[in-house]
Order: sequence, then structure tokens, then C-alpha cells
Amino acid sequence: MNKKLRVVTSDHEAAAAPAADVAKPTYWRSLAELEQSPEFRATVEQEFQEPLEQLPPDSPARRRFMQLMGASFSMAGLAGCRWREDKIVPMTRRPEGVIPGTTTRYATAMELNGVAVGLHATSYDGRPIKVDGNPLHPDSLGAASAYQQASVLDVYDPDRSDAVTQKSGDKREVATFEAFDKAAKEEIKKLRASRGEGLRVLSERSSSPTLAALKDRWLAAFPLSKWVVFEPLAHNGRAAGTALAFGKPHRVHYALQEANVILSLDGDFMGSTFPFGTGNARAFIKRRTPEQGEMNRLYVIESTFSGAGALADHRLALRAEQMKAVAALLDAEISAKATPLPEQGPAQPKPAAEFLNDAKIAKFLAAVVKDLLANVGKSAVIAGPHQPAEVHALVERLNVLLGNVGRTVFYTEDAPDAAASDVEALKALTEELAAGRVQTLFVLGGNPAYDAVSDVPFAAALEKAQFSARLGLYEDETSQAATWHVPAAHYLESWGDARAYDGTISLVQPLIAPIFGGRTAIEFIARLLGEEPKGLELVRAQHKDRLGDDRRFRKAVHDGILEGTAFERVSPKLQAIPPVKLSDREAAATVANDQLEACFVACPKVYDGRFGNNGWLQELPEPFTKLSWDNAAIFSVATAKALNVVDGDVLTIALNGRTIDLPCVIVPGQADGSVKLAIGYGRTHAGRVGGKVGTDVASVGANVNTLRSSAAPFVSGGLSVSSNHGPGKQLAMVQEVYSTDQIGKDGMAERLPELIREAPIEKLREEPDFAKHLVHQPHKLNLWVDPVSYEGHKWGMTIDLNKCTGCSACITACQAENNIPVVGQEQVARGREMLWLRVDRYFSGDPNEPEVRFQPLPCQQCENAPCEQVCPVGATMHSHEGLNDMVYNRCIGTRYCSNNCPYKVRHFNYLNYNVDVIGVTPYTPTDDPKMKLKSMVYNPEVTVRSRGVMEKCTFCVQRIQNAKIPAKNARRALEDGEIKTACQETCPTDAIVFGDLNDHKSRVAAEERLGRSYQLLGELNNRPRVHYLARITNPNKELA
Amino acid sequence: MAAASDFNPFQAPPKGDNTFARITDNVSRIMEAPKPPRAWYIAFGIALSMLTIFFGSLGWVVWNGIGSWGTTMPAAWAFPIVNFVFWIGIGHAGTLISAILFLLRQNWRTAINRFAEAMTIFAVMCAGVFPGVHIGRPWLPYYMMPIPNQMDMWPQFRSPLEWDIFAVSTYATVSILFWYMGMIPDFATFRDRSTSTAKRVAYGIVAMGWRGSSRQWHRYERAYLILAAIATPLVLSVHSVVSFDFATAQLPGWHTTIFPPYFVAGAIFGGFAMVVTLAVPARQFFGLKRIITIRHLELMNKVMIATGLMVGYSYGMEFFIAWYSGNQYEGFTFVNRAFGPYAWAYWTMISCNVIFPQLFWFKSIRTNPWTTLVIGMLINVGMWFERFVIICTSLTRDFLPASWGYFIPTKVDFMTLGGSFGLFFTLFLLFCRYLPMVAMSEVKAFSPAGGHARGHLHHGHDDAHAPDAAHAHH
Repeated sequence: MNKKLRVVTSDHEAAAAPAADVAKPTYWRSLAELEQSPEFRATVEQEFQEPLEQLPPDSPARRRFMQLMGASFSMAGLAGCRWREDKIVPMTRRPEGVIPGTTTRYATAMELNGVAVGLHATSYDGRPIKVDGNPLHPDSLGAASAYQQASVLDVYDPDRSDAVTQKSGDKREVATFEAFDKAAKEEIKKLRASRGEGLRVLSERSSSPTLAALKDRWLAAFPLSKWVVFEPLAHNGRAAGTALAFGKPHRVHYALQEANVILSLDGDFMGSTFPFGTGNARAFIKRRTPEQGEMNRLYVIESTFSGAGALADHRLALRAEQMKAVAALLDAEISAKATPLPEQGPAQPKPAAEFLNDAKIAKFLAAVVKDLLANVGKSAVIAGPHQPAEVHALVERLNVLLGNVGRTVFYTEDAPDAAASDVEALKALTEELAAGRVQTLFVLGGNPAYDAVSDVPFAAALEKAQFSARLGLYEDETSQAATWHVPAAHYLESWGDARAYDGTISLVQPLIAPIFGGRTAIEFIARLLGEEPKGLELVRAQHKDRLGDDRRFRKAVHDGILEGTAFERVSPKLQAIPPVKLSDREAAATVANDQLEACFVACPKVYDGRFGNNGWLQELPEPFTKLSWDNAAIFSVATAKALNVVDGDVLTIALNGRTIDLPCVIVPGQADGSVKLAIGYGRTHAGRVGGKVGTDVASVGANVNTLRSSAAPFVSGGLSVSSNHGPGKQLAMVQEVYSTDQIGKDGMAERLPELIREAPIEKLREEPDFAKHLVHQPHKLNLWVDPVSYEGHKWGMTIDLNKCTGCSACITACQAENNIPVVGQEQVARGREMLWLRVDRYFSGDPNEPEVRFQPLPCQQCENAPCEQVCPVGATMHSHEGLNDMVYNRCIGTRYCSNNCPYKVRHFNYLNYNVDVIGVTPYTPTDDPKMKLKSMVYNPEVTVRSRGVMEKCTFCVQRIQNAKIPAKNARRALEDGEIKTACQETCPTDAIVFGDLNDHKSRVAAEERLGRSYQLLGELNNRPRVHYLARITNPNKELA
Repeated sequence: MAAASDFNPFQAPPKGDNTFARITDNVSRIMEAPKPPRAWYIAFGIALSMLTIFFGSLGWVVWNGIGSWGTTMPAAWAFPIVNFVFWIGIGHAGTLISAILFLLRQNWRTAINRFAEAMTIFAVMCAGVFPGVHIGRPWLPYYMMPIPNQMDMWPQFRSPLEWDIFAVSTYATVSILFWYMGMIPDFATFRDRSTSTAKRVAYGIVAMGWRGSSRQWHRYERAYLILAAIATPLVLSVHSVVSFDFATAQLPGWHTTIFPPYFVAGAIFGGFAMVVTLAVPARQFFGLKRIITIRHLELMNKVMIATGLMVGYSYGMEFFIAWYSGNQYEGFTFVNRAFGPYAWAYWTMISCNVIFPQLFWFKSIRTNPWTTLVIGMLINVGMWFERFVIICTSLTRDFLPASWGYFIPTKVDFMTLGGSFGLFFTLFLLFCRYLPMVAMSEVKAFSPAGGHARGHLHHGHDDAHAPDAAHAHH
């Protein structure tokens, strides 16, 4: 024990100290230990299978082991964040506030694309096991996207970089932090002398005030150096557009709860890839509850289906390129009515685009214009992040002219450099590197070697730098080309700060000591500058005016945010916007095969590829294709027909003279002539999930960055597609492809109105309970007497179909909460995915102008449950509170319950997924520390299922118990809202409500009583406990 | 089948100076011959290899998990349950022939009842393997038994699977008893004709001291009658209960009241098809043409026409009710069955079960052993597909379109299916070689020499222990 601690408490230098230096322990268990006799020391060394002394001090095995142990002890310091020292001590005396076996939540924040989202991380015995939104944080309001939900898995990813490595010829060799620090120190010494000549720092976008201050100090120390910022999915379009409209780059904020009419041009403003997406979603859905006030109306014009498009009252599919003409037309029409001031410039001339004369499009736009003008000051126009500057400028002009600014739309000033293209910045740096003008390069995070577009050969150029050091979570594509790789700390292992989209400063607090000894960007830069390299000190020093005294600091750490630090709202002056020029393609109604539009979009699962080694995200079905574990080329029905391609066809896609192969997936509602290609796949150095060259783990999907060009990195014309008409690819889809056989399509069309009940608001007013009477309810006789009378609690759930955007954050939340195994691509293709909660996706209407409907489907917890009646061994039983309980150790796996479940929400462990795919369970002993590490993410309150048993949604029964027990101990009744299921808690649109149906004042009971609530397949007399609220739309009569 | 040099002793005329003796010799010499015909060795070799594959594939499944099969979601039941129902169905003809036809005084049954019963038992054994191994944790099937235990486990008797356990095990027990009891006089004959001590002891033990006294014959016939009476309802109940697995579920395509009679008719249909599939080669190779005559085959073919029409009617009635009920899910399921992704399986079933058996209306076809064999095999294929269609088409497209899927079998699925035939044929070939394939005593009773065209089974022909004794009836 003492030996272990001696090693752990010491720093890296001390770790290498010979054992002879070990001081005599203060506490001892035996005389032998006290005396440190040679025999005793031999015994201690034998305590572990690999004698520690025999391993080199910085060997991965040794470091991993020690960090792991260190992690479990470190909570002594972390509890309540009131440690004085950075020492790690054994828990011989329990620190205040730490109760073993209970969970504690800590506020922290995760930064993505320069925007922080505040989170609550749940810690169990010193390790983070779950992440949820921070209700105090403006970007989160308690919700978390799939990215954030899944980020906790990365903490325990055994493929994370665990050691400093150094390039040595063609190979990379393991080195030590000390060696790197020494080399870096010498390099810095030279650079100080040359004032930073030939020195560059390449950083991903960060909103950290501490890093910004360090950057200033860095540039002061090295005046000739440059600090380059590159973010693969930067929102340069918005910044450049606002600069065009207002003279300076601005951030745009919305108060959608105030807007009666919302128009989105290719913007998924509620999506996780949109800045402030969750905040927008929460505001938007406030006006989508027909029982509470007037409903808003949403028009969406977009190239590919988005969550906003799914909720739209009216949707028009146009190519992304066509938005410019649409924006110009809207300005022409609205300026004519809204009479801009002279300094605001004249209206756009009516664009000469033939597609605008199309009767359907013209009618749509005329209705939009009319509706916007009828709601002056109560509307909002939103543009997508990858639209060009002109579209953003025109959209903000519309907001100004419509009087929305200050009411529904707000501006804050953005960084002056925000408008410059990140892709161009990387290109310039690459050219400098290639020309040999850069000798020293520090790369902070990101993965530019993978993210760089095809005409920016960053990886090759990086090799030219004499000294390059890369700080990264993984030893990925970029690290391969750098002379040094330094492991980075995960955000859940870091002290730091970051700003929300509205500027509110969030504190990043660690939940665990860096498992692999990684450093944060601020620590890395501070160390290079010769400053105190401790994240906590750096952050405290940065905010000393706000966090000077401990009390305020503790509150800030507790809340996770610094209140009152949001950017100041400004009212910029609108300038004249020069008339936009339309290229032939932008004005064209249709495009031919070699002129197809390629839309490169952030993947809702792996983002830009950074989550490529995250099994939860890889297995998450993409909301619209329901494709997991792959990317595909997405075509509309008409385009696919014109190209003569079908689902699963492997296509050769050519753009800018380069080609890749991708499978075809047809999604109705994709704009004709536009092909959606998700970025983030085809990683070559991701790991054993996302793919790694030189191993038997193939890359997941194909890398579309090789098709992109710096001239048009996100939307590019000129794509051509050819099918090799070979055997199709077996796609790992969790729902059948859209283009199924005619009988299947007819069957779906016939039953869909009963499964997803919906009506316009007028119908709801006329017939408030229309949804209940849509389906004939036959006589309901029970064969059995009800086993339970539900005298205590009666748990129920309502899901509002009016609010679900299909974002799928709930699926990942459920996976994290309930230890749901990842089964891998082949098993998903077989139909054996284990996700307890599905989000069913249906298309309806004309396939060329479809609507999409989402239906989250947890276990319906039927009162008259068909599964319970057919289980021969009583492994699924009814609880007194009405839950269908699964008794795993009783289940023998006849699977009859699944056959008899009309919802097919049960999932079966056909193989031992936890062992076969993940490699370990908490119950299987292993000596491999990396495997052990993986099992640390398990939620200890949920049984890990073995092979051969059925499993399904439990309504998060562990959360129910965790709320009931303290309430009982305190002799008080449970309050409504005290229990939140994992899916409910993370839902950005608050579509899921859980509670006690016996409590008539509860929200769930109130929603269940609503006229528009209905039971899915209720006519089967299963009496499901989940009620769906019918979808209510607010259509414009002129477009009916 | 055999070349000229490949002399088959079984094709020679049986020895004996009267009909009874010749019957005895015809049957007994199969066991007494030093070597079975070469065809037996070839067949046994193949069967044994398939049996090895069977156990190999089951071992693989038990070791790795049932995910080795293609069984998936939503088709949580697939090949193993199809195979189970198929084999249980096969196991119907035996008891029907032994019990119901006995009670109905259909004396032609005597030529085929013994190996039909054997077939029943082996088919039930094949079927019995599947419920145990198809479950996710194949080491725990005993959880389904009402065994008092300290775990507070008790079966859930509302589950039709629980009813299955009792129905199938009862059926297996009664069938084995019936089969064994019928063999006792014939075992005694074997014992008495044995030339080696080992055989004499072995057959002597299983003959249980049979001496053929009038009293023994009297008791024997009473017991046989009682067992037949017990077995008769089982013929109807077993497959009815098996059909409840489906009929009581609420899945469209399963939830139909027609299932019990439809399953029973199908089982008899398939069972007879399997009897002819086995009888035709057996009579050929073991020289039993004089006992299992063309007339027997023709009568069985007639039963197949009748039951085949019942099955065809059921197929039609399912469609009618699906339309008549007005239930959209039910209606969809049947249209999808016939024209959806599994249309190939559906039309295989229809051709094999409804179209080809109509050829039996032609006398020339139903009296030709080889056309009988071909059509019988086609019916076997059709009956397997019937279960496949019921299970897989219904499961893969049920209520919510989002959970639809398609079942694709794996290699292991085919190995298990083929391997189960290995188990069946291995047992059957061993039976042919070592046990009385034809009920000698019963055949004699109804031979022209026996003097009874109808009436009681036996009247004390104690030739069993004196096969070659001069009981000259002519």
C-alpha cells in the first residue's frame, strides 16, 4: 500500500526514483513492513503479477496501473472541490461529503467548435459514469446532446494516447514527459532568442479566456510567431455574413419563444451541430404546445432533412446553393414593403433564377413573405452555418427590416478574426510549412491532418517542420506526422474555462485525475512559457477579480458558470449589401449528374471525426437514414431514380478530379440534385472502434475530406456519381431502407395515420380528443385478473410527438445510463442492436415532398403486458408500481416475450456482447489494465447483462429507487419531477415526461388527460403506460 | 441398386414352408444376417456424418451463444423453432397409424405401424433437442420444469411454452410405451431365433419373459387397446398445443383460431409423407415388398390427398378470414406472405403441399413407389416451409413498420437443420438393423393365413417362440 502511494504521490521524476529511497512508513501493518526488510520488499513486489520494478518507469503498463489507482484515490481531493494540496492520499479517513457507493454530481463544461455547453457529470466512487446537461447553463438548460452524453466513454477509451511518443525515422517511439519537456525547453530557448521566428501554434477553436490570455502572453514573448486557429466546422459563414451586413462579425442569438413565424434557410437551428442549438430548441418548443398559448409557425427551406425540417409546418427542399437566390428574393419582396432607410441600402434586385418561377416554389415563398410581413417584430429568419456570407448578410438584413432585432433576434460582437475562413488559415499555414518558413509548430488538439481538405496537404507539410509537437487525446493522423506527440487530458480530467455561445463563462472541473497523465492546452502552453503549469491555478489566476475569494470560487465551481459574464448585446447598424451574383448553378432549377451539389455536413454521430473511436456514437443510428456504423451518399428519390441507383449500391463519387466509394442511401426529402456526405468517417488512426491501419480494424465509412476543396469546403457543385453495379453493401441500418417493396410501402402508408396521429390546430380545437377516436377500440375483455391494483405509485410516461426532432440524444443517454452494450456493425446489420430506446422514423406523403415523423419508442410498460403472459419461467413480471420488471437471472432466453411484444422493444443478448465486443464486464476478471479501464464506465446501479437473456427499458428503475429511498427516509412524499428518466433528462425539446399517474397534480398525469394523448396500438388491449401526444401542426391556410 | 456381383441376401425369397414362417423369416433375417446390405452402410455413413455435424453445430452454439444462428430481432424464433415444429409434426403419423387406425380397425396398418411408430419416436427426439438448445441459456431449460427448489422458481403456467413441455413429454412417453409394448412378442421371436448368446440375452431382456401363452396374449391385447385409447387424443392434442404457441400470441399471422385443426391435419399429412419416404427404400433394400405392398403405399397416398386438401383449405381459409375480419394488420400479413419478401417461401410451400399432392389423384402415380417417394419428399419440404412461412413472415413484419426486418440464416442454421436429419436417420437405420421393422405378430394375424380379415388382433398364435414349428394351416 505504502509503496503504491509513494509512487503515485510523487511526480513523474519521483516515479523513477529507486525503491531504496522509500522512506519508512508512518503507518505499518507488520513489523516486516516497518523494517522494510528485503524479504518484505520482495513480497510486496510479488503482490502484482508484473513486478513494478521490472517495468521501465514510464512504460505504458506501469503508468496505466498507477494512474488508475491514482484515479480512484484522487476523489479525496475532488469531493466538494475544497482541497488545499494536489496530493493524492488513501481513503483511510473518509473525506467530508464522500459516501462510498453513492453518486455525486459535479458541474463542468465541454467545448465543441469554440462553444461550451455546461454539464453535470455524475461521479461514482471517484469516476465519472454519466454526463447530463447543467440546468443553470444557458446553452444546455439541463439537456445534453449525444456528443456530450457519449463523451464520458472516451475517458475510458483504451486507445487514448497513454504516453509521449517521439518520431524516430519511420517509427514512433515511446518517450517520457521529461524528455519532451527537456527538448521543448531547448527549443523555446532558441525561439526566445529569435523572437519566435518560424514559430507557429495551430489551435482548434477555443473560447477559453485563460487560453486567450496565454495566447497574448505567447505572442508577446514571441512577437514574430503566429497563432493559427483551425476548426474543421467553423461557422465562418455567419461571422462573415454579419460582417458584410454590419461591418463587424457578430454572433446571432434568438429568442424563439417570442417569434410567431420562423423561417430557416438550411439551418438546423435546434441541432447539436448548431451553436446554441439546445437553447433554441427549448425556446422553440415553448410555442409548440397547443394547450399553452398560440402556436408558432415554422417554415424550413433546406437541402437535407434536419430536426427543424422534421418539425416544420411547411418545408421546401432546395439545394443549398439555391438559398442565395431565395434570400435575395425574400429581401426584394420584403424591402419593397418594409422600406429600408437610405443607409441600409437598396433592396436586392429580383434574382434571375428560373427555379423561383416554379409555381410551387413561388407560392411557398409568397406565403412566407406574407406571413413574415404580418408578424413584424415577431418573426425570426435563420440561416444555416454553412451558407455563404451573402445569405447570412441578407438574412440578418431581413431580421432588421422585419423589426425582429431586440425582440426575437439579438446580436453580440464576435471575435474580429471569426470571419476569416479557417480552411484558408490552415491552407496558408500549410503553404508556409511546405515552403520551409516554419521550423517549429505546436498543434493544440484538433486533428488537422485528417480534417484538412484535399488541396491542403497538411500532413505532408507537417513533416517538414524541424520541431513539431502535437497535444492530442489520441495518437491520431496528425500525431503520426509530428516529431513529438504529447497526450492531452480529457475535459473530464481537466481544469479549465470556456464560454457559452452567449459568452457566459463556464468552469471546467475534473472528475478524475488524468488517467494517462495528459495535459490540457493551457497547461501545455503555460509550461512552454515557463509559467506555473497547473490548470487550476491558471484558471483561478485568470478570473481572480471574479473568483478571488474561496467562497465565490466554490460557488462558481458548484454552479459551473460565472453569472453575468455573457457578452453584451449590441444593436449594430445595417449597411448596404451589394447585389448578390448568382452563378449558373445557383440559379439553375435542376442539375445534371456531373453538376450535382455535394453538401459536406457534420455527422450527428462522430461530428468531424473526433468521436470516431466512440462505440456509442458509432452505433447510434443517424436520425434520418437510421444508418449506424457508416456514412453514405444521401440522395433524394428522384435523383436516385434519375441516376439509376438503389439503396446499398456502392457508388463511385467524383469531385474535383478525386473519387471515393460510398454506399447509396435514399432519403425522401433530400433536395433533388443535392448529395449529402457526412464528414468524420474513414479514419485511419482512430483506434479499435473507428479503424486503425496496420491492424485488422477497418476504417468505419469513407473519408469525404478527400473530395473537399478549400475553395468550397462545405457546399460544392460539380459532383458526379457512377454506380459500379456490383453487389450492394449490407448496410447496418436499424430500420428498413426507405425503398422497400411496394407491399411494405402500402402497408406502412395504411397504418401510419394510426401510429402517428396528427392534425392541424384547427381540427384540435374542433375535436379536442380526435386522437383517441381515430382507431376503433373493440371490446376489451381481460383473460386474467389484473395482478396489481397500483395503490402506491403508478409510473407513466408521455411523449409529445409535437416536440421530437429525432436528435437521438435520448438513445445515447439511455445507453450510458443502462450499460447497454455496443454490438458492432455486423450485429447491427443482422438486426441485433441492443438500444433500449429507439426513435422510429417514418416518411409520409408524396416521396418527392415528404414529411418525416419521429416516434421515440421505449418499453411501453403495458399493464396487460403480452410479454408477461408468455414467459414460461416468470422472468418478466409486473411490479406493484406497474413496471414490467425483467428478472435477468431467471431469464432462460426463450424470446417468446419479444415475439409477443407488438412494439418489439425487447432486445436479446444473442452473444456475450460485453465480453465479445467490449472485451470485459465488471464480473470477468482480467489482468489487462486497459480492459479493466473499459469497465469503469459501467453504471454500478444497473446489472450488466450476460448472454442469453432478454433486456429492455426499465423506466430507469434505478433512478426511481434512488429518489424513493431518500424520500422515504425523510418521511416525505415524492415530488413530481424528482425522478427523471435518462432520456427525459437529456431531451433538448422536453418531449418526454415521466411521473406518477396516481398523482393527479403531476405533469405526466395532466398530459395523459389531454385530449390529444393516445396509446400506441391501444386497441390490442395491452394498456400501455406510455401515452403519445398527437402531433399538432399550425399550417398556413394559403399553402394547404 | 445393387450390381450383379453385389448379392443382396434380402432380395431372396424368405424361407419357410408356410406363410407365418415366411413372414417371420422375412423380417427376422434382417437382424440375423451377418451384414446388412451395402446401401445400409452407405446410408449409415452419411447419417452418422450428419449426426456429427449436428452435435458439432449444437456444441458451437452452446459455446458461443445462439447468435451463431441467424435468429435475430424481430425474428426471435427462426430455424430452431421451425425445425422443432416440423419434427413434432412428422411424429404424428406413427401414433395415428398405431392408435387411431387400430381403433378404427384399419388392418392394413399392420404392415407399416412398427416403423411409423419408430419414426414418430425418433422425430420426437429430434424435436425434443430444439426447445432445450434454442434458448439463450441452454444450460437452464430445467427452469421450465415444476421442480421444487430453493430459488423460489416456479413455472408460469399461463405460457403456452409451458403447456408444450407437458404435451410433448406426455406424447413422447406414451409413444415409447406403445412402441415398446408392441415389440415385445417380436423381441421374443428374435430371442428364440438368436444364434449367439449375446443376442439371446439382449433380446431376452427386452422381451421381458414373453412366452406367448394365451394369458399373455390376452393381457397384451388389453394393454394394447388401452394404450391406443390413451394415445388417440394425444395425436390431436400435441400439435394443437404446439399450435397454441402461435395461436395465443397476438402477432398477426399467428393469432388465428384455425391453428389447432390446421396444425393437426398438416402434421398427419407430413407424417405420412415421411412414412412413405422411409417405407419405399426400406421395402426395396430389405426385401419387404411382400409385406409392405403397393396397396399400403396407395392407401397412405390417399390419406395424404385427404389431409393435403385439408391443409390447402386451411391456407385458403386463413386468407379469407384475414380479409373478412377487416383487420388491417391481419390482412397485410397475408398479402405480405404471398407477395412480400418471403413470397418465394410461400409459393414453395403451396406448390409442395397443395399442387404436387394432387398428382395422387392419378392411380398410376399413387401406385408407383418411386413417384410416391418423390412426392413424399416434396411434401416434407413443403411442410418445413409451412412452419418457416408461419414463423418468419409473421415475425419479420408485425405491427410497427419501424421494427420490421428480414431473417437471413447462417451456415450454422443449415448445419443444425441438416444435422437433425442425421440424428433421425442414424436412429432409424439402427432400428432397421436391430429391431423388428415390421410387427410380425400383427401382420400374421391379418395375413390370409391368419384367417381374420377383421376382428381381434390375435387368437393365441403362439408361433412367436416357435417360429418354424409346424403350425400348418393349410
